[in-house]
Amino acid sequence: MIKPESIEDLETFLALAYLLEIESSDRYSELADNMKVHNDPEVEKLFRKLSEYSGKHASEIIEHAEGMVLPNVASWDFEWQSPEGPETTAFDFIEYQITPERVLELALHNEIRGHEFYANIAKKSPSPEIRKLAAEFSDEESEHVKLLEQWIAEMAQNKASTRDDLDPPNMPE
Amino acid sequence: MTNLAKAKTYKSEVKPIWCPGCGDFAVLSALTKAFAFLDLAQQDLAVISGIGCSSRLPAYLSSYGFHGIHGRALPIASGLKLARPELTVIASGGDGDGFSIGGNHFLHACRRNLDITYIVMDNEVYGMTKGQASPTTQPDWASSKLTPHGTGVRPFQPAAIALASGASFIARGFSGDPNGMTKLIIAAIQHPGFSFIQVLSPCPTFRPEQKLWKHQVEPFPHEPTDDPVKAATHLYTDDGMSSGLIFQSNYPVWSQPDVAEASIKQFEEEFIV
Repeated sequence: MIKPESIEDLETFLALAYLLEIESSDRYSELADNMKVHNDPEVEKLFRKLSEYSGKHASEIIEHAEGMVLPNVASWDFEWQSPEGPETTAFDFIEYQITPERVLELALHNEIRGHEFYANIAKKSPSPEIRKLAAEFSDEESEHVKLLEQWIAEMAQNKASTRDDLDPPNMPE
Repeated sequence: MTNLAKAKTYKSEVKPIWCPGCGDFAVLSALTKAFAFLDLAQQDLAVISGIGCSSRLPAYLSSYGFHGIHGRALPIASGLKLARPELTVIASGGDGDGFSIGGNHFLHACRRNLDITYIVMDNEVYGMTKGQASPTTQPDWASSKLTPHGTGVRPFQPAAIALASGASFIARGFSGDPNGMTKLIIAAIQHPGFSFIQVLSPCPTFRPEQKLWKHQVEPFPHEPTDDPVKAATHLYTDDGMSSGLIFQSNYPVWSQPDVAEASIKQFEEEFIV
């Protein structure tokens, strides 16, 4: 099991960073598909956008790793502080009446956990090079947190959405 | 290719129609990650199911699959494994399909110990038919008009019954712990013999109270054992809300003899009148 204090090589660190972002991107994409099936284009679009952002971050990490061979790290190889990667939205956080505001709150929660993940490595890795890069990534996650907070504030000004359903699916037969 | 990228190749183009928040999503994700980790070729993999929400699983995978009839995932999976022993065969379904309609097949699949993996997504309810009590429902669950005062019937104990019936690998997973579940699925597929995983998989629509499971499910409080007596003791002192490998033993695996006992011609001669 890989722990923050046992990350000694840059390749493992970047592999974990890539895993964090790509798992997050894939999950947002799966959730978008699910909302499409349930005919909620507004929330679907939001999940797609979030997936795109995480995908871009994953591509940036690959650029960072140019010329390196990254190890194939599985999600269960690392001692996360959450059931999956810190930026991966748990399936059970979603419900069919989820609002765009709630989606952004979940994204914010993910970014805060991402920030904490990198901050922890910046504090504990034995490698100065990894500590420096992890601190940079941690700062970047803080920027994402600020952007999301701003986005949430803007959304709150425009409208507060509720999702009433006069014919809920869970009326027992 | 990373494990995650590879895992996606096991998904089909069909998008799941499960309710948002359904635990079965995590099972699908864990299965594809396990397949990727084990580097299983799609053409050597078959996923067989019965009927119910969770039994839609084969449609969402790019492997071979068979969406069978209610309760009959295990007979179909068993037949396939006997005819094509080189395939990795997974049977999947829900608690109603597996323990009620297919309950008898479950007992004998455990006993035969064919090399197949059976994953039951247990949400303690019939979800596809809009929320009726299943074999694993608690006796006082009164949210269905069919059982307005609860069933009053003791729930089926999947792991204990699997143990008593002779299953050689018994585990309990939780959809809220996808990485832990992936590791259990990998171990189950690698296990030679019948491997059974009961997955606690909440139904947010008809059992919304199960959303609390993520605060209730704990790791199984005992080390896995190969001693059925110890495993039985562990299971009878367990509240069913824990996940992990419970029992694993190397019972003989049942398979067809490699050599045919008679040729088709010989069989045909017996039927000539």
